[in-house]
Amino acid sequence: MIRYLYIAIVIASLFNFSGTAHALSPDEVMKKAQAAFLYPGKDSKIRVMMRLISREGKERVREMTMLRKNFGEAGGDQKYFIYFYQPSDVRDMTFMVWKYPKKDDDRWLFIPALNMVRRIAASDRRSNFVGSDFTYEDISGRDIEDDTHSIVKEEKVGDRDCYLIKSVPMDEKGTDYAYKLSWIDKERWLPLKELYYGRDGSVVKQFSADEVMDIAGFWTATKRTMKNLVSGHRTEVTFQKTEYNLNIEDDLFTERFLKKPPKRWIE
Amino acid sequence: MLKNAIRRLVTFSIDYPKTVIAIVLAVTAVFAVQFPKADIDTDPENMLEDSQPDRVFYQKVKKEFGINDFIVVGITDESGIYRSESLKGVERIISQILKIKGVIAEDVISLTTTDNIKAREGTLEIRPAMSRVPETREEVETLRRDIAGNPFLHEKIVSADGKATAIYIPIQKKDMSYRIGSELEAIVNKELLPGQRFYLAGLPIAEDTFGYEMFKQMAVAAPMAGLGIMIALYIMLRKVGFIFIPMMDAMISIVWAMGALIGLGYPVHIMSSMIPIFLMPIAILNDVHVLSEFADRYPSIRDRRKTLLSVMEDLYIPSFFAPLTTSVGFASLALTHIPPVKVFGLFTSFGIAAAWLFSMTIVPAVIMLIKEEQFEKAFGQERKHLWQKNILKGIGDFAWNRSVLIVAGFSLLLIVGIYGITRIQVNDNPVRWFKESHPLRQADTMMNRLFGGTYMAYLVVEGDKPEIIKDPKVMAYVDRLQKHLEEEPLVGKTSSVADIVKRINFVLHDEDKTYDTVPDSQEAIGQMLFLFQSSGDPDDLDNLLDVDARQANIWIQMKGGDNRQMTQVEERAASYIQKNPLPEGVIRVQWSGLTHINKVWQMIMVKGMLFAVTDSFILVFILIAIQLRSFLGGLLAMLPITISIVASYGLLGIFGRDYDMPIAVCSALALGLGDDLAIHFFHRIQHLYRVTGSLSEANTRFFQEPALASFRMTAVIAVGFLPLLLSSLTPYITVGTFFATLMTFAAAVTLLLLPATTKLLGRLYLKK
Repeated sequence: MIRYLYIAIVIASLFNFSGTAHALSPDEVMKKAQAAFLYPGKDSKIRVMMRLISREGKERVREMTMLRKNFGEAGGDQKYFIYFYQPSDVRDMTFMVWKYPKKDDDRWLFIPALNMVRRIAASDRRSNFVGSDFTYEDISGRDIEDDTHSIVKEEKVGDRDCYLIKSVPMDEKGTDYAYKLSWIDKERWLPLKELYYGRDGSVVKQFSADEVMDIAGFWTATKRTMKNLVSGHRTEVTFQKTEYNLNIEDDLFTERFLKKPPKRWIE
Repeated sequence: MLKNAIRRLVTFSIDYPKTVIAIVLAVTAVFAVQFPKADIDTDPENMLEDSQPDRVFYQKVKKEFGINDFIVVGITDESGIYRSESLKGVERIISQILKIKGVIAEDVISLTTTDNIKAREGTLEIRPAMSRVPETREEVETLRRDIAGNPFLHEKIVSADGKATAIYIPIQKKDMSYRIGSELEAIVNKELLPGQRFYLAGLPIAEDTFGYEMFKQMAVAAPMAGLGIMIALYIMLRKVGFIFIPMMDAMISIVWAMGALIGLGYPVHIMSSMIPIFLMPIAILNDVHVLSEFADRYPSIRDRRKTLLSVMEDLYIPSFFAPLTTSVGFASLALTHIPPVKVFGLFTSFGIAAAWLFSMTIVPAVIMLIKEEQFEKAFGQERKHLWQKNILKGIGDFAWNRSVLIVAGFSLLLIVGIYGITRIQVNDNPVRWFKESHPLRQADTMMNRLFGGTYMAYLVVEGDKPEIIKDPKVMAYVDRLQKHLEEEPLVGKTSSVADIVKRINFVLHDEDKTYDTVPDSQEAIGQMLFLFQSSGDPDDLDNLLDVDARQANIWIQMKGGDNRQMTQVEERAASYIQKNPLPEGVIRVQWSGLTHINKVWQMIMVKGMLFAVTDSFILVFILIAIQLRSFLGGLLAMLPITISIVASYGLLGIFGRDYDMPIAVCSALALGLGDDLAIHFFHRIQHLYRVTGSLSEANTRFFQEPALASFRMTAVIAVGFLPLLLSSLTPYITVGTFFATLMTFAAAVTLLLLPATTKLLGRLYLKK
């Protein structure tokens, strides 16, 4: 009799445990982070200021408007339209990216000095975006299934509770780092800090979200820095103006508008 | 007074031999324990002072353009590189190379890591030249066409005949070259297919390997030279115990000099590693004088103590002044602006002083510890028919009787020597420090035949304001300057930001040849560079253009790295700039890069040695003139040094050998050996003249014992260094040959010309 009671208690406690913990798997954490960080809203329009700063403190500037529209769920296709203001010799240049999670991006570039649009085929997700310390992949994200994720522990960044996730690429050829540690805010789901580790075990690159703001109900990292610890070069990004859910029409993201982007999207 | 002091030192050593030896060994132990602290520096760049302008500029260029020194790996394939099987192996090799510690993976230039920009059906394609290994015949052909069609890749990563591929590997620090080279070798050897061979080239690896092999050779060469000297000593002195005394003396002075150098925190550089080789012959000079005369006088005295005191009595003064002069001569090398030469001069000088001390202490002490019977046995019978004495008597008579002929003969030699010196070509190249059969030399030849060149130099175009390089006039000028340089056969390939702009312009216009030019609008240039930067490898641009586009860096790949070749290319650029003035906004065009830096330090070194030796020469002259209290005597005493240098270097010029770093260093040795011979000659001849009152009689007596010592010394050094000829490094062969040549000339002057001039002019400077 006592034995049955004992078994009953054990069974009950098991149910109880699984019922209350409701622990997220590491992949679920990363999915939430992806949605919050890269896919907020249906679309967005952001005035971006990038400062590229060398170890010696020499500075270059990139200023652009970046339009984004999601097609499908978070983690699905996206289209980007970028218009450059600075540096001055590239003013009026426009750049369009159709991003697919499972294959190479399609990209188009408009060169105003030659009045020419060219499609660019590149397999360079690890290349640096406009010469900054952010790679194309850092801007548009990696497919979650390309890495094995695990929760290392929970840890605070500043006063924010975070999951510390370790992500190891399945195919080491595709990356120039061995693994990545991300601190994901448990409530807002934004990555607050990321460390990229080289194959020799040292940190090679470091990301930080320096300012997080609520913009129209979306938590947004409006200031962020990527620092290359090997070269000492860093890039500081400021979102000068951020808007969500503007109902950007689909056909903005076509070659036709690269040459003459509608005023209201780039002013 | 000086004589008394030294006599007291020698007498003390004779009376308390064990105490003296114990003290010397104890001090030696203090110097010896410094050895493990040795910090080895094999970077030839350290030949330049930290503040030397070319060195400072090179550091700046490396930093601003993110440039590193390169090792180049070449893989040749008899059946051609363009086959799936071969390309697969190359892919595997590259992916392993990227993982080597110290390799800057993102800057490696190779088939799979370097982007090719091309147009295909209206699309701009930016992908690694070989993003995946082609399988079918058509795919292989496409790859071949792609590479042949891009000047950035053609003859750079694959040779024109398609039988070789090259991988350019930037490394973090030059002194990692040897280690990385060994790891590369292991990787490549594992993957090599039948019919394939591989080559390692590039200046950093030549320099680092040289440094490495040099230390290995020192461990072999110095003892071998020591052995050679011991054998020669035995032939001359016929007493086993006597060959160990000078060797011990030399070894201990080497330990003192190197121990002091290391203990004071100086790195052991290529130059300072030569200290043992230089110190050895100079250190044994005094000992040979002492032992030689001891052996000659013992038979008539038959008491080791008395023999020693009698021998020393004649040697106190010359044996003090000869090393003193040599020591001061070497110390004066500290006046050069070449840090390793300063260190070399000062510590060799210290070693010479130490060696003198040992001749006056250890040598008598050891002799006192050897039993009297042993000397009885060895030298008991007077060896009247000694062949050496007969030869010397012949030489002495000949010099005396044919004095005019001898003076005429040496004058002629001097003239021929001067003529030869006017034909000397100053030239050097670290790769040539290896024998032609060395794998590095062969790799150098092969790689420079197949590819655009493994010797890198940089030409930096500096503007007065940011963005100026994007000015079409400046860009076009850079392009024309490159074309002009490429017409020189030595220059294999040049790359600059202008090439990138031209390539993008060409590709944007669907590979239409008429657009393979620099566009004439600054905006177009800016946008093309932006396109390149945002889609290719941004580092590629950083290596060629600085952050604010104020400076451009033209990469010059050359097929040869001799100083003269570098100078030739630099002169070609200078003449172009003179005829075609720099465009507005460009303020300077300046050379840099390892090949240029080598040229600079070698020139400074070679000229610096010339001045340093001239300074020492004057100093030695003044010292000798004071010792002899005669200006004319001083002049004559300089003859062995002067003629041996002029004749040896003259021969060099006549035979067309390049005057390079090792040869420049050898001139310092002539000072050390030549002045010893001269000082001993003049002291003895003066003494003998005073005793006999007749020049002729003095000469005859000089050619008995005293000349025998000089003769033996010459033979010992000339023969003793012959083992160096077996070395695999040419500088050692040079040093070995040159020592023998210098020594032979110096001895010929001392034993022929000096007696001849004494006959003719002796009365003018010798005192009764």
